[in-house]
Amino acid sequence: MARAPGRLSRAGRVGLWLANLAAIAFLVAPLVPVVLGSLHAEKALQQNVRSLLVSPREFTAANYRLILSGGAARGPIFEQVTYLPKSVERFPSAFLNSLLVGFAVTVATLAIASLSAYTIARLGLRWTQALLRMSVASRMIPLIVLMVPLYVMFRSYGLLNSLWGVIAAEIGFLIPYAVLILTPYFASLPSELEDAARIDGCTRFTAFLRVLLPLSTPGLAACGVILFVISWHELLIPLIVVSRPEFMTLPVVLAGLVSDYFVFFTLMMAICLLGLLPTVVLVMLLRKYIVRGLVAGALKG
Amino acid sequence: MSQSARRPRRSEMRAGPFSVAMNLPALLCLSLVLAYPIAYAAYLSVHEVNLRHLRTGEFPWAGLANFTRLFDDSVFWLSLRHTFVFALVSVALEVVIALAIALVVDDERVWIARVTRALILLPWAVPPIVNGLLWSFIFHAQYGYLNRALHAAGFIDEYVNWLGSPGLAMGAVITAYVWRTTPFNILLYHAALQGIPGELYEAADVDGASAWQRFWSITLPLLLPVVAVSLVLRTTFAFMVFDEILSITQGGPGNATWVAAWYTYRISFQPPFNIGLGAASAWVLALIVGGISLVYVRALYRRVAL
Repeated sequence: MARAPGRLSRAGRVGLWLANLAAIAFLVAPLVPVVLGSLHAEKALQQNVRSLLVSPREFTAANYRLILSGGAARGPIFEQVTYLPKSVERFPSAFLNSLLVGFAVTVATLAIASLSAYTIARLGLRWTQALLRMSVASRMIPLIVLMVPLYVMFRSYGLLNSLWGVIAAEIGFLIPYAVLILTPYFASLPSELEDAARIDGCTRFTAFLRVLLPLSTPGLAACGVILFVISWHELLIPLIVVSRPEFMTLPVVLAGLVSDYFVFFTLMMAICLLGLLPTVVLVMLLRKYIVRGLVAGALKG
Repeated sequence: MSQSARRPRRSEMRAGPFSVAMNLPALLCLSLVLAYPIAYAAYLSVHEVNLRHLRTGEFPWAGLANFTRLFDDSVFWLSLRHTFVFALVSVALEVVIALAIALVVDDERVWIARVTRALILLPWAVPPIVNGLLWSFIFHAQYGYLNRALHAAGFIDEYVNWLGSPGLAMGAVITAYVWRTTPFNILLYHAALQGIPGELYEAADVDGASAWQRFWSITLPLLLPVVAVSLVLRTTFAFMVFDEILSITQGGPGNATWVAAWYTYRISFQPPFNIGLGAASAWVLALIVGGISLVYVRALYRRVAL
């Protein structure tokens, strides 16, 4: 939308270019060290503390080979290394756990929240409107406030150290947000088709299931991706619920690198890159949908 | 066709019971994972709860002992002060940087604006814990890229120990956090800019308004409602910052970057595992966040509505 009128002067064009380049630098620059660091052996990093390490001749894929093989493929660089962080060994199973939790949380939250959002968007009862306001308010509860009591509760129900506990807590935490994203989307769709379906003998529920939901695929997809991203990023919930390695999700395994003073930075950056890749690729591919979902979730409340 | 034939099926549920049934799953989840835990946190905060009590399952009544202990703890007050500083600085930066980038991206007369636009969500997609780890690498005194770059550009001779001094460490954590969270604001402001009708600018142009006047008297007032929303959201989220603290400084050096969420976490889930005290501090944090959003909503929405 070219809103500022007229053509640009040469100075204006240069200024706008520079401003854009600065913005791009802000958005991208912090990721450059991750890529460069992950492509080096730790020796190169330590020997050359003043160089920016950008020469492609020194690049190696040894870090990635080590991580993706769960610590098995050591190669010449890691052959002599006596200590490997636990995170390397735990990476593959943590990746799978994160995927599993992400999918389960996304599907369950979408299902539950779409039922609620439908009543808020279409029925306009006073108490369902209050539900929407409650969803806005509950987004402002600090997660740590929930985690203290949830830990004690899960402990007595035997939900500690299981993916079920993680999934349950994340679903509860995400439902209000999903309702906030889906309600304006449902409300933006015309209700005539559902009315027509109901005249043809559909109940409210079948009209929702067979008419509204299929029409809402883009909105559901946007909401779903956002939920998956948040679940993939979630650290505090699994950190507190899970302490056994086999149930750790990726953020917990990554957090294990923090207190590890012997860890190689190059190896750490490679793990980081593999950890951020799934959501970054997903978000870049589905950018347009996500933007709409995020804006709706923030502004329509 | 008679009027009655157009009416939906008679066996159908009425709107009231139907909406109750539809909301049952959500309400069940929310009461189990949100409402009950909050009430339970209040219960825990007035009882003595540590590892020994967790094992026996009996929590002795403590009255307000946890709260008195909390308010006597200088580290708690320090954490609160750090949280306010953190929130104030990071929210201000988020708003200003996001506003600048949103305005730049909105001008489509150079094609590169489309590239910038495509990259807005990139930092948002990075997991917070990864964000912390990558910035801890950037800021590392010996091997970090910040010192490498500053040295290459000739700004420094001696390496700066970014995470070793209290003021710089807080700045480092804020930088990392702001980088990850600013994109959300850019999106909101960008969406709001797109909603401003072009005629307004044309009219201003006819009147011979300068670019600055256009921004000051058209763009900014129309953006204000969205800025208000972002202020509420970003402030509450800044009060919950945890991942970047854990991964960059772990509260250090000393306790220079202890914030409220970190305090609650450390007290409850690391030695001394004092869950009663943790619940008390969690409640205080929740009340502060709730109070701040209430003040915001009242002050800002009223002004915006005018």
